[in-house]
Amino acid sequence: MDPTGSGSFKALDDNLPKPELARPPLTPPVAPPSKPHGPLDPYIVTNGECDTTGAQGLLMMDHPAALDIVQTKNEVVISSEVSNVRFLYLDGRALPASGSYDYSTVGYSVGRWDGDVLDVETVGFPASAKDQGPAVTDAHLFERYSLSDGGKRLAVTFTWVDPKLFLKPWTYTYTYEKLPANSYAFEEWCDSGDPLQTQSIVPPKQN
Amino acid sequence: MTARIEDAIATYDISVRRFKIIRVFSGGLLIVALLLAPAFGPVGAQTSSELRQPKLPTTLDAAGETVPDISGMWMLLFDGANIPRAQLSPSVTPNDVITHARMDAYAMRWCNYVGTPFLMQSRFPLDIQQGRTETIIVAAEVSTARHIYTDGRGHVDPAQFEPTTNGDSIGQWEGDTFIVDTVGFSPNRGLTSIPGGGFKTATSHLVERYRLTENGSKLAVTFTWSDPNVFLTPHTYAFLYDRAPRPTWARKVACNPFDDVRTQFLSGAPK
Repeated sequence: MDPTGSGSFKALDDNLPKPELARPPLTPPVAPPSKPHGPLDPYIVTNGECDTTGAQGLLMMDHPAALDIVQTKNEVVISSEVSNVRFLYLDGRALPASGSYDYSTVGYSVGRWDGDVLDVETVGFPASAKDQGPAVTDAHLFERYSLSDGGKRLAVTFTWVDPKLFLKPWTYTYTYEKLPANSYAFEEWCDSGDPLQTQSIVPPKQN
Repeated sequence: MTARIEDAIATYDISVRRFKIIRVFSGGLLIVALLLAPAFGPVGAQTSSELRQPKLPTTLDAAGETVPDISGMWMLLFDGANIPRAQLSPSVTPNDVITHARMDAYAMRWCNYVGTPFLMQSRFPLDIQQGRTETIIVAAEVSTARHIYTDGRGHVDPAQFEPTTNGDSIGQWEGDTFIVDTVGFSPNRGLTSIPGGGFKTATSHLVERYRLTENGSKLAVTFTWSDPNVFLTPHTYAFLYDRAPRPTWARKVACNPFDDVRTQFLSGAPK
């Protein structure tokens, strides 16, 4: 992958195909608002929750903030601007046996090089984003990481395999752009105890 | 009579760890040298000094030079800390200490990022991965990763950098020591207390020195804090990490600030 062993990458593509589901969606679609938003109607700007439980999980790969990737001989670490981090082990270890681990919102990942492509397999996802128990799903995620354009772009193909959820494997690709060499990682600050953070409805200023 | 050294014969006696070198000189002279040395490993062509050299893991830095490799999972055991008491500046009042203790209690209760230096005392193994242009340190506790840039850059312009719980870190190797320089700490985010006394402020300056010891099985780190607003003299303490057994999986621990049981445990008197 990146000959310098690290870099900051920002997602470019968000035009995703729709998966074919094995059963109806897990949650009903959100009902449309009963009336159009008026000039003085309040907006819901946040649900007040900081992600301190790792609920964001693999959505960090889709986050508008840049990802910081550090590559070493035995591991690739992908960090975000919040607390979420992914660990891709390249030291030859096997995936943990089913039932031997608690869930992780980012799963357990192992990878190996296939020429210039990094193949990664991940298991150990929770049954739901808010699941606090040890139950894990049977979902497998296969990723393929490859550089292009002289290392300026990183393409990641995600393939989800879960017979209980998908009729057939669901595949999509994100393309990331490498940020300039002097870029540095930000820290997205969030304080669940801040009243402004937890205020779910912010009334507009009254003139 | 000219001595001519012929082939040397070396034997290794495991039971007493002595290295015997028998040299045979032509002309009838026979000299037996008995060396006492803590020799290890195979015998034959290696000298005792070569056998004593620790074989540390190495990697390449941004310039392509070979440097020690501190990558791995590192545990801070119960006896791995040497923390002297800090000498605080007279300008630090008891009220300052109380204020920062309350700030830390708030940060803990609301699952704020713990930041540096707290994450370096993690109760779980730290994941340190040393790339060529960046070394990243990840702790299990609620925290963003530490990013230590080793590509030769200087610190970010303070006018541009928004202070964080981990600060702005740059590093370089000097021989077998990795030196990390950090500024840009947030004075009021995360846990601000420093081991041994004192607390982080906007003017805090941290210098760390990382060095592999005991054939790479341990990682010695010294932390030196300088801040004229807090410390009378630079405050230094040391941690000695052990390498975690393989395979150890890094993890991030969930923290739910809306867990009532947790909140009651942290907020009230112990029951």
